[in-house]
Amino acid sequence: MEGVLEFVGGPLFRLTFAIMILGLIRIFALAIWGSLQAYREAGDKVLPGKLIVRNTVGWLLPIFRLWKTRPIYSLVSFLFHIGLILVPIFLLAHIRLWRDSIGFGWPALSNNLADILTITTIVAAVALFIGRITSRNARFISRPQDYIWPLLLAIPFVTGYVCNNLRISATVYQWMMLFHMLSAELTFVMIPFTKVAHCVLVPLSQLVSNLGWKFPAKSGEGVAETLGKKEMPI
Amino acid sequence: MIDKLSDEELKHAFKTERKPEVVEKQKLNVRYHVEDPVVEGRAQKFLEAFAAILKNTNYGFVLDQYVRSSAKCSRCATECQVYQATRDPRDIPCYRSELLLSVYRRHFTVGGLLKGRLFGSGYLTDEKVNEMAESFWNCTACRRCSLQCPVGIDHGLVTHLGRYILSEIGIAPRALVVSTREQLEGKTGNTSAIPVPALLDTLEFLEEDMLEEKQVEIKFPIDQENCEYVFFPAVSDFLMEADTLMGNAAVFTATGDSWTIGTGYFDGINYGLFYSDRMLDRIVKKVVEETKRLKGKKILIGECGHASRSAKYFVPVFCGGKDAPPVINCMEYLWEQLKKGRIKLDPNVITDVVTYHDPCNISRQGWIIDKPREILRSFCKNYVDMEPKGMKNICCGGGGGTVSIDEIRPYRTSIGGKAKAEQVRKTGAKYLVAPCANCKKQLRELMEDQGLDVEVVGLHDLVYKAIIFDESLKKKAQEQVPQPEESEVEK
Repeated sequence: MEGVLEFVGGPLFRLTFAIMILGLIRIFALAIWGSLQAYREAGDKVLPGKLIVRNTVGWLLPIFRLWKTRPIYSLVSFLFHIGLILVPIFLLAHIRLWRDSIGFGWPALSNNLADILTITTIVAAVALFIGRITSRNARFISRPQDYIWPLLLAIPFVTGYVCNNLRISATVYQWMMLFHMLSAELTFVMIPFTKVAHCVLVPLSQLVSNLGWKFPAKSGEGVAETLGKKEMPI
Repeated sequence: MIDKLSDEELKHAFKTERKPEVVEKQKLNVRYHVEDPVVEGRAQKFLEAFAAILKNTNYGFVLDQYVRSSAKCSRCATECQVYQATRDPRDIPCYRSELLLSVYRRHFTVGGLLKGRLFGSGYLTDEKVNEMAESFWNCTACRRCSLQCPVGIDHGLVTHLGRYILSEIGIAPRALVVSTREQLEGKTGNTSAIPVPALLDTLEFLEEDMLEEKQVEIKFPIDQENCEYVFFPAVSDFLMEADTLMGNAAVFTATGDSWTIGTGYFDGINYGLFYSDRMLDRIVKKVVEETKRLKGKKILIGECGHASRSAKYFVPVFCGGKDAPPVINCMEYLWEQLKKGRIKLDPNVITDVVTYHDPCNISRQGWIIDKPREILRSFCKNYVDMEPKGMKNICCGGGGGTVSIDEIRPYRTSIGGKAKAEQVRKTGAKYLVAPCANCKKQLRELMEDQGLDVEVVGLHDLVYKAIIFDESLKKKAQEQVPQPEESEVEK
C-alpha cells in the first residue's frame, strides 16, 4: 500500500499535474494567439476597451452581478467556485507538501476556514448536481461531463476532509488518501479537455467575443471566391 | 419577466403560411418563405459553406473558445424573451448555440474528427441543418443573453454565423434576400425599390408640406457635393416615416449645417447584418462609395438601429478601418446641436406621457442610450422610462431581420414581442418613441395585436412638432413663398 501511495503521490502526481498545466498553457496560448491573429486581420482595430475590461473583471469577480437573476443558483455556484479555487491551493497540508518538494511555500488558510470552505464546496457540488438532474431545462442542455464534474470534484474534498478531521484507522486513512489523490489526479487530466478549461479562458472571453465581430476586411470576398460565387447573382 | 404563453397563444404564434407542397419540395419545415434552398446533400453543402467561411474569417478561434468553455449553466434563459414566452428548452440561447457549436466540434476540431472516426457517429444530418434553419430564425438576435453569460459567450454572434452559413446553401428568409437583391443588383438600388424620380417627388411634396406647416423653407438637399453629412435613412422611411424625415430636415434647417441625400445611393438598410456577412460587406461599400462620390465628410444614418450598427461598426471593418469616413447617428447629431444651443424645442407641445424604446442594435453595446433621453426630457413634460432599459433593454420582438418577414407576424407579436408589450403597458405612455424603422414597424403591429392604444413614433417626429425656428428663417420663407393658387393650377 505504501508503495502505491508513494507512486500515486509522487510520479503520478507529477505526470497528471504536468498534463493539466501544459494543457491549460496550450489552451491559453492558443486563445492568445487566435486573438492576436484576429486582431491583425481585423478590418477595424478599434475595440471597446473599457467595456471589455469592465465585463471581464465583472465576471471574474461576479459579486455584484450574479444575484440579479437566479440568486440561489448563483450563490451556490459562487460558493462552489470559491472553495474549489482556494482550498487546493491554500490548504496548509498541501503547502507543506509543496515546500518539501520545491523548497518554498505561501501563506495558508486557517484550518477552520479551510474546513468551512471544504464543507460548503461539498454541499454546493451536491446541490449543483441535484439542480442539474431535477431541472428540465438543465437536463435538456446537459452533456455527460456536466453531470460528472460536480460529483468528481466533490470526491477529493470529501476524502480530504475525512483524512484531516475524522478519527479513522491507518488503513482507512490510506485508502482515503489514495482516493483523494487519484480523484484529484483524474480531474487534473480532464481539466484541459473539458469545460473546466474555462478556468483559463474566462479572462479572455470578453475580448474574444468582441474581436469576433471584427471581421477581416477581405473576408466577404474571400468566402465568395472559395465558394465560387464571385460572379454569381444573389 | 413574463409568463409562459397559453397553449392557444402558442398555437397561434406557430401557425404557418407555407404550403405543404412547398415544404415537401424544399424538404424544409420552417415558417418563413425560402426561395431556392439546396435540397440534395444539404448537410454536406452546409459543411462546405462552413469550411469556406472558417477559411476566410476569424470565426474559428471564437468557436474554439466557445466549445472549450461553454459550461451549460442555462443562465441565459432567464434573459431571453423568446424562451420566457415559450418555455421551450430549445429556445434556451445556449441550446441554440450548441446546435452550431456541436457541428464545429465534430467536423472542425481534431478531437471531434478523431471521435467521429473511432465511433463513426455524429455526422451532420439534413435534419440537424433543418433544425438550425428553424432555430436561428426564432431568435431576434437581440444579444441580451450575451450580458448574462458568465463565460462570455455571445450567442448572438453564433446565431449570426449560423444564419450566414445557412444563407450560403440557399436557406434565408425570402423577404430579406429579395430586398438585398434589389438593393445590390436591381434597377432602383434600394430595398424598397423606390426609383429616383419617385424619391424626388416625395421629397418635394414633403417640402411643400413643411412650408405650409412651419412657414419655413425646409429643404432636402439633393446631390450636393462637399457637405458635412451624407444622409442614409432606412429607405422605407421615404414611404412610411415622413414625419421622421421632416424632423431630420427641420433640424438641419435650424442649424444650417450642410447635408445631402445622394441619388446614386440613398438606402441605409443593410440586411446583410441579419443573414450574410458577404452582403453586409457589399452594402456598406455602397454607402461609402456614394459618400465619396459626393465628397461628403461624414456618413449620417437616420433613425434605424440596424442601419446605424451596420454602418458604425462595419464601415470601418470593410472600408479601410481608421481611413473610412466617420459614421454618426442622427440622434447623436441632434444631441450635439441641442447642447450647443442651436436647436430650440417648445416644452409646451408634447404634454402626453412619452416613453423611449432602445433599439438593440444601438444600445446593447452601450453606444447611444442617454442622448435620446436627454433630448426627450428637454421638451417632453411627461417622460417616463421603461425598465429594464439601455444596455439591458428588451427587444421589440422583431429584431434580427425578423420584422421584415411578414409571414411570421403572429410569432413576432406574441412570442417575440410579449415582454415588450407588457413593458410598454406599464408605462401608460401615449407616445412610444422608437428611433428605428424596424422597431417602429414591429411595435405598431405589436400594439395592434396586443390591443394597446399607443402611438409609435420616431424621436424626430416629436422634434418636428416642437421645433422652434428663428424668426429670420420665417421671414426668408415669406419672401420666397409661391402663390398657392398658381402651384395648384400647374398641378
